[in-house]
Amino acid sequence: MYLLRMAGLAAVLVVSLLFAVFVGDQGPWYFAWVVGTIMIILISGAGAILLDAQQEGKIGSSSETEL
Amino acid sequence: MDMINPTVVDLSRFQFALTALYHFMFVPLTLGLTFMLAAMETVYVVTGRKIYKDMAMFWGKLFGINFALGVATGITMEFEFGTNWSMYSRFFGDMFGTPLAIEGLMAFFMESTFVGLMFFGWDRLSKQGHLAVTYLVALGSNLSALWILIANAGMNVPHGSHFDPETMRLQFDGFVKLIFSPDAQAKFVHTSVAGYISAALLVMGVSAFYLLRGQHRQFAARSFRMAALFGIISTVAVITLGDVLGREDYMEQPTKIAAIEGLWHTSKPPYEPWILAALPDDAKQENHFEIGVPFVLTPLIAHDFNTPIIGMHELEDAAGPRIESGITAVAALHRYQETHQQADLDLFKAHEADLGFGFLATRHAPNQDVAAIPAENLQSVIAQTKPDILPNVFVTFWSFRLMVFLALYFFALFAISAYLSLKNKLERNTLILKACMWSIPLPILATEFGWITAEAGRQPWTVFNILPTFMSASSHSTSYMVFSLAGFALLYSIFIAAELYLMFKFARLGPDSHDTAHGTEDYTAQYAVAGTSHASGH
Repeated sequence: MYLLRMAGLAAVLVVSLLFAVFVGDQGPWYFAWVVGTIMIILISGAGAILLDAQQEGKIGSSSETEL
Repeated sequence: MDMINPTVVDLSRFQFALTALYHFMFVPLTLGLTFMLAAMETVYVVTGRKIYKDMAMFWGKLFGINFALGVATGITMEFEFGTNWSMYSRFFGDMFGTPLAIEGLMAFFMESTFVGLMFFGWDRLSKQGHLAVTYLVALGSNLSALWILIANAGMNVPHGSHFDPETMRLQFDGFVKLIFSPDAQAKFVHTSVAGYISAALLVMGVSAFYLLRGQHRQFAARSFRMAALFGIISTVAVITLGDVLGREDYMEQPTKIAAIEGLWHTSKPPYEPWILAALPDDAKQENHFEIGVPFVLTPLIAHDFNTPIIGMHELEDAAGPRIESGITAVAALHRYQETHQQADLDLFKAHEADLGFGFLATRHAPNQDVAAIPAENLQSVIAQTKPDILPNVFVTFWSFRLMVFLALYFFALFAISAYLSLKNKLERNTLILKACMWSIPLPILATEFGWITAEAGRQPWTVFNILPTFMSASSHSTSYMVFSLAGFALLYSIFIAAELYLMFKFARLGPDSHDTAHGTEDYTAQYAVAGTSHASGH
């Protein structure tokens, strides 16, 4: 099962690399859109998690009373 | 061929502009909200906190309203190509129909299938399964835009096609060339990311409304922060891609760039100012006043300091020989259609590159037949045709500027909002919250100005330098066009009213009243992990 999962992940990695090489070469702005959209989602999500951490007092001095 | 009725052409243009602009009030939100929902749901799946599920469900409801009306207004446009633009469809259908068919069969079906699962699958799918579905909806809606924009890019720079004198149509011979054309790439990313901005400002604006009222504070603070970060990066991207598109237009459509910049005479680098404001006069072919920023135009357009940007007067002069050559091409083509003589075909081939300019001269020719132009009137017809190569400068110039000024405003608003949100100082800055709330419609307006710039700037062509707009319309009666235009205006206005009513209604209701069991309880004690005692009631 473990080997099967590793093989599946390796296949995804190979396909992703081939996709990146082909689209990056033929359509650099399409590639930028794919990478950029993922980045926008991750940064936006990280912002929300940061707010949770701020309110729990793990980061900074902010509290849940002030937003 | 029927004589071209300019009133019918103008009404057809007005009808298409009206339906396209109405349709594009819905599209940007669909493109952006889907990825915002994906971002919210990703945080839900990663953290397990119920508040993010509620966010995805609530904003998903607003997305659903918008999606339904967007689909309803979009479908009619595809039929419009056949009913009102039949000459265009015949000439360019091979090129245009392929991406549109793929859009319908692949992207729209994918989007529509998964959108049902997204709305009704919360209790039927695993967390990860539902997240995958949300991503597929986002991908499907953006792929839908991709194929439409590939088709539109073909109208601007028809990569992967050649004119066939036997069928009198553009034949499609380069699928990969069309898909990967620089114009298609830049246009897609620019439009898609503009949608992200529209969605981000909707979420920010409605969240600001809640924060101003002290309602749903935890829900609104999270939505606001995610939207502010989503928006600021998207604004940087949209400005970058706007520059790429401008560069493409500079290379491929110099008349559009000259009109956008209100540049009547070739620029003098490096001093040439970028005109901030002016009153372009299309009739007199001059600007009545200009306020500009020196040394900006050349690097902005040419990406260097030394290249002169060709002005509209010089472009008109350069079109003269092309119009003459095009008249020869059209006349030879008509003769070849009747006689099939090799000499006519050879003559046509020698002037084929200027065919569109010959078509453009048609409306100044006797009985709209360039072959009937007497030799002594040829120069007069060429002189009459020259100004026709230019778009409406006033419209192109100002629609571009309004779009750009709005983009710069969004950049400032998102930057300040993101900063205040990250510092947890939102609620004490009511001015910014009010600005966010009142700015909700502005990105949609900016997108509309963007489309006006792109489409008005491409005139007088439907297929740039090949097929003039006045030759593309169907030969309907004026009364038919007036009747159908009134019908569309009425129907689409009802759609807009329905959208606004539903959006306002559900935004005012907020997340608690209809999506969660919290009632008056807010999230302060929670944003707890789903499955704990607090969240288990949901």
